[in-house]
Amino acid sequence: MKNRLRVLRAEREWSQQDLADRLEVSRQSVNAIEKGRYDPSLPLAFKIADLFELTIEQVFVNPAIEGKES
Amino acid sequence: MRTAAAKRYTVRLAVTMIAYIGILFTVLSYIRGYDPQGSLRVLLSLLPALPVIGAIAVMGIYLIEETDEFIRARVAMSMLIGTGLVLSVATVLGFLQITDVVGQVEVFWAFPLWAIGWGLTQCVLNFRDSRAGGEA
Repeated sequence: MKNRLRVLRAEREWSQQDLADRLEVSRQSVNAIEKGRYDPSLPLAFKIADLFELTIEQVFVNPAIEGKES
Repeated sequence: MRTAAAKRYTVRLAVTMIAYIGILFTVLSYIRGYDPQGSLRVLLSLLPALPVIGAIAVMGIYLIEETDEFIRARVAMSMLIGTGLVLSVATVLGFLQITDVVGQVEVFWAFPLWAIGWGLTQCVLNFRDSRAGGEA
């Protein structure tokens, strides 16, 4: 699932490890989510959105909408 | 970074493996030395299986305790591929045995084969993730 994690992280000058520590997950998890190779569970998606003080839709691209747009 | 659950898993697995080696050598030495018969031989034969069953339980506990969902999903995927490998090999060997192409094969090897399948898959996934990159 496409997302803005990398951009949001860069805006705060956080490394993947910084973000992983804040989310209490491994750096591999952050990397996989950033690259769209792993879709986080809903609780983790909420945790990510909360951390950036955004909604889930502002962090992750809705695949249904993305499909209609393309 | 190894998760806390992974560290606990490593310690627990090491304990079961040390117990397995200790029990196995003790039992084999006793059987070769005293050649017990009957129920004592059955009991002694079963003893080395206990730590191996313990190791399987440790793997299951790890899967439950792992709080990093990406790691957990990866481990579960690796275990499934290990299971698929064992079932495939068992099916192939079974048909070869039905047609008398292959003789008796020790079923003991099922668990090691499963573990090898798991381990190899983990290696492949680790390699894939390392190639996917990402800054530290």
